[in-house]
Amino acid sequence: MTANMPGLEPVVPDVVLPEDEPAARRGRRLSRRRLYLRRFLRNRGAVAGLVILALLVLFALAGGLFTSYSYSDVDFTSLAEAPSPQHIFGTNSAGNDAYAQAVHGLQRSLVIAITVSLLTTVIAAVVGCTAAYFGGRVEQVVIGIVHFLLVVPSFLILALVSQRAGGDWRALIVVLTVFGWMYNARVVWSLATSLREREYVLAARFMGVSPFRIVFRHLIPNIGSLLIITFTIGVVATVQGETALSFIGFGVQPPDVSLGTMLSDGATTVTSAPWLFYAPAALVTLLTVSMALIGDGLRDALDPTSRSGGRA
Amino acid sequence: MSRYLLRKTIGWLAMIVVATNLTYFLANAFLDPRANYLQLRPPRTPEQIDRSLSQYNLSPDTPLLERWWHWFSGIVLHWDWGASPVGESVNDQIAFRIGVSAQLVLCSLILSTVIGISLGVYTAARQYRTADRFLQALSVVTLNIPTVVASLVVVLLAISLNQSLGTTLLYVAGAQSPTITGFWPLVVDRIQHLVLPTISLTVISYAGYHLLQRSLLLDTINSDYVRMARAKGLTRQAAIRRHGLRTSLIPVATSIAFAVPALFTGAVITETIFAWQGMGQYFTTTISKNDIHGAVAVAAFGALMTAIGAILADITVVALDPRVRVTGS
Repeated sequence: MTANMPGLEPVVPDVVLPEDEPAARRGRRLSRRRLYLRRFLRNRGAVAGLVILALLVLFALAGGLFTSYSYSDVDFTSLAEAPSPQHIFGTNSAGNDAYAQAVHGLQRSLVIAITVSLLTTVIAAVVGCTAAYFGGRVEQVVIGIVHFLLVVPSFLILALVSQRAGGDWRALIVVLTVFGWMYNARVVWSLATSLREREYVLAARFMGVSPFRIVFRHLIPNIGSLLIITFTIGVVATVQGETALSFIGFGVQPPDVSLGTMLSDGATTVTSAPWLFYAPAALVTLLTVSMALIGDGLRDALDPTSRSGGRA
Repeated sequence: MSRYLLRKTIGWLAMIVVATNLTYFLANAFLDPRANYLQLRPPRTPEQIDRSLSQYNLSPDTPLLERWWHWFSGIVLHWDWGASPVGESVNDQIAFRIGVSAQLVLCSLILSTVIGISLGVYTAARQYRTADRFLQALSVVTLNIPTVVASLVVVLLAISLNQSLGTTLLYVAGAQSPTITGFWPLVVDRIQHLVLPTISLTVISYAGYHLLQRSLLLDTINSDYVRMARAKGLTRQAAIRRHGLRTSLIPVATSIAFAVPALFTGAVITETIFAWQGMGQYFTTTISKNDIHGAVAVAAFGALMTAIGAILADITVVALDPRVRVTGS
């Protein structure tokens, strides 16, 4: 957690290897993948994030094996009870087992976050690169839409549209994707405009390669590292958006359960039954913080100009 | 300078107008005010519903463009933002709530900027020391913590503080107590209510400025002109403040403008949790009650806040950056 926070770069200039160093001491040339891996593993925060995320995924997948309750089961003999051997996270006022709900809610939130982030990254890459490649009118329209969304709080539009979805999580995925790709597309676009003028793109264009082939074969692969980082940051943003929407009642809605609806349950009883708040709060915080740490680690590992990985 | 500002302001106003009108059409597509009348007993016939809705310019029978024109000319000519499906004036609601929200958003915007930038300067000057590492780890957590969690943790802490003090020092609900009279008691009471929501909004938004300011300042601390300032005989502190900080503040100032929409989203959550009757809470009410005109007014308010943030950022950049020459042309 100490090294390599965002934007952190060592001020001490790297010691340049003497050119005449014996080949044996320099060791074997690293493949690109091993180089990335080594840089990533050097970042203790990122490794911690990866471990936390792995544990969370394991909990979401296998956590259900350790309880006999399902998230929708109702235990009328214990309503709003504090944690006990019977219900290890306690129960809510309707008698649902909070542990079973936490497992299911984490599953739901993870699936939504990963799907939405994947889809928005893909759309942003295609739209951003296409806009940058074609320029002119296409570019103006895309940037216009993005700027419009920077002016109106996009959260308002999200809430406006998603309340129509009636709490179906699949519809929520669609809504979050449709209104989530614009900002990333702008970032991709600004990077791709500089690629547009590169020799290999010009060469391909003059050879008569079709525009879409240029976008998919030459532009998108060259911003791959940016896209991976965008994806991890997108997961954090989607989890935050989903919890906020579900909390105010426009996202996932009962009887379905996500971390957002659990937080909303916990918020109403935060003084009388705080245990209903602790579990989802801890899970959602661990999820976002671990993803952010992984994102930082990936940025340092994949960015060729980054010096924080040291020589590797 | 004033002509430059005027031009910028006109540009932003045009953006606000376009955004507000587009939201009007979006809201019309996704909100159905007829739903509000369906639950009424005795049941109304569709004709009755349409007749009551057409009083408020909401009837789906009227063509959309005609309704839009009525709504738009109402705002331009009479500053009338329309009415909710049950006939409450949007103007009245907004007038009462706008101060409440602006107070909350602006207080935490100023606080988080000041705290974030000072922490950035403090930690950049102490890179890799314990204080730097601790504050940075803290910022990474608070930057990524969802607003709901941050606000509820603040509530829990405040409750335990109140309990340990034995009196209610900080209120966890509402913007003011109903039974307070007199000027000074009212001010104190307001502050007691304002502290917690402001803290929770500040906690989630300061970290972005901290991390950005820190990395930018680290870049400039090692630049030639800061070294030159040290060589001239300035103390390290003065060199950082006068030469390093000034250049590295510019990107931070521009990022503040675009943080306002996020702050507004945060305000929706904090107002719900702290039971403030502000724009954020109005936002959830309008959408769940199919109040098209209300929702559009909230969007206009959000756009206005963004524009104010952006213009303030522009002024700051002009004041800080000697390379930006502002001429009227």
